[in-house]
Amino acid sequence: MEVGFLGLGIMGKAMAANLLRHGFRVTVWNRTLSKCQELVALGATVGETPAAVVAKCRYTIAMLSDPIAALSVVFDKNGVLEQIGNGKGYVDMSTVDAATSSKISEAVKQKGGAFLEAPVSGSKKPAEDGQLVILAAGDKALYDDMVPAFDILGKKSFFLGEIGNGAKMKLVVNMIMGSMMNALSEGLSLADNSGLSPQTLLDVLDLGAIANPMFKLKGPSMLKGSYNPAFPLKHQQKDMRLALSLGDENAVSMPVAAASNEAFKKARSLELGDLDFSAVYEVLKGGGSSQA
Amino acid sequence: MAAAAATHLSVRAAPALRLRGKGTCRLLSCYASSSPPPPSSGEGFSGKVGFLGLGIMGAPMASNLIKAGCDVTVWNRTKSKCDPLLSLGAKYESSPANVALSCDVTFAMLADPESAVEVACGANGAAQGMAPGKGYVDVSTVDTATSKLIGKHITSTGASFLEAPVSGSKKPAEDGLLIFLTAGDDSLYNRVAPLLDVMGKSRFFLGDVGNGAAMKLVVNMVMGSMMVSFSEGVLLSEKVGLDPNTLVEVISQGAISAPMFSLKGPSMVKAAYPTAFPLKHQQKDLRLALALAESVSQSIPTVAAANELYKVAKSLGLADQDFSAVIEALKAKEQNPQP
Repeated sequence: MEVGFLGLGIMGKAMAANLLRHGFRVTVWNRTLSKCQELVALGATVGETPAAVVAKCRYTIAMLSDPIAALSVVFDKNGVLEQIGNGKGYVDMSTVDAATSSKISEAVKQKGGAFLEAPVSGSKKPAEDGQLVILAAGDKALYDDMVPAFDILGKKSFFLGEIGNGAKMKLVVNMIMGSMMNALSEGLSLADNSGLSPQTLLDVLDLGAIANPMFKLKGPSMLKGSYNPAFPLKHQQKDMRLALSLGDENAVSMPVAAASNEAFKKARSLELGDLDFSAVYEVLKGGGSSQA
Repeated sequence: MAAAAATHLSVRAAPALRLRGKGTCRLLSCYASSSPPPPSSGEGFSGKVGFLGLGIMGAPMASNLIKAGCDVTVWNRTKSKCDPLLSLGAKYESSPANVALSCDVTFAMLADPESAVEVACGANGAAQGMAPGKGYVDVSTVDTATSKLIGKHITSTGASFLEAPVSGSKKPAEDGLLIFLTAGDDSLYNRVAPLLDVMGKSRFFLGDVGNGAAMKLVVNMVMGSMMVSFSEGVLLSEKVGLDPNTLVEVISQGAISAPMFSLKGPSMVKAAYPTAFPLKHQQKDLRLALALAESVSQSIPTVAAANELYKVAKSLGLADQDFSAVIEALKAKEQNPQP
């Protein structure tokens, strides 16, 4: 199968590489073209622009960092819209709000193309290992066509119905995740400031009802002050913001999500935005002092 | 900021072989070959065990001790709650003091700091039956000051004291899979280790009195906050037209998959909250955690926000429901809420 791939950041690079390693023919594009070279070494061809990629490929996947980038790749000069049309499919795996996804969907369909939103749950390592969870919605026939690619990229795919449902599901999951990271950070900070061993707290948490892979994976590196970005904090905060907007639109009460978002904003103001989202611990950690 | 020295032991919850002896509780447990046997294996616990407080947690814990062959004497404020234990072979005494007097080690599992203090230090309280050579193990969840107060009353009689709050609710209690977070007298800890291994799957010794209490509060505050985040997600997913059961399934596939979500998610979606951990106790734990945080000036914003919702849930008459009922606090308030 041949696919186009737009966007070779933390996620896109790993995903494109995975497809290449499993025998897919892949034509790549990235805003900073030099990033394509690593994929070329794995057998990819390069498209000079998103339009060039779409012209060449029947199916094109996009993995961009935020709504602005996702829209730009579609609507700007030399964008996807210039070449999308009948018989072609566009699959946006970026995490965006439902309105952005709808806008892209309408524009693609108007040109005769098929559109699928398919944001993923999972960060760098699951992307490398093909263990993503794919939350697709939109054109069912396009979804069916993409299953061979999804089977390589992920461990499980969901088809959630109409456009917007994939985007919303992703935002809800990431909202819970962001709040959980704050709860963990608060726990580790309080343990530390109360004369307890934060590592012991991690050990206890790992034995009980709230044990989860994220705490297990990130807890130890948080205690070492190590925040290599698997999922950049600025993107997590973007997701919290989008989830809160969704809550606003529907008058859903979300006080813990709101409190979590505040901590992520504070972290960004402290220039921690490019670190892993677990760096929010640095914000909570600072807020205490040992008992005399 | 010295980290408390912690020793930790994980044991398999394998069936214990019971060899009955007079007044002796001999426990031989089977372990996977990869795990080293704990120091107490083969020795067992000799002596009579008291158990004060037979609520949601106390009853199955005491029952597990009896089934393992221990000589158990019980007391409960509402006497009728003792009957199931008596029919399993437990003895009964009419006050905490009399239980303590007749036993070598006495456990207490009470609902909150007030009852823990009352049972230990009040009129006819356990302290009055304590003496050198005896031990008191308080497995209630209380604040550090209460634990230290109880500890002082107990040790002033010459007896030893161990605080030992547990992580785990009704089912882990029934299945003998609790996690003990102990602190205080380490000789008493070693002495009762075989009993903890009957009731639990794992035990930690965390140093001075107060450390066990604090650790339990920190664990439960993370849990209380997580339950509210999950509730926000379930409600938001419903409101925007997603199937909340699909949300639960998606979560179970990813990095934030936790037993609590898979276990409670489906019933929360159906607005059912069978009580494994009463909401009023979760809110009590958050209140105590916030006080602990205040004592060291530690900011814990999501816990503070979560606490507000548990308070709202209590005002809606949900105090005795499972703590997952906090989701109701996020919904639009009803005029005549169902208790």
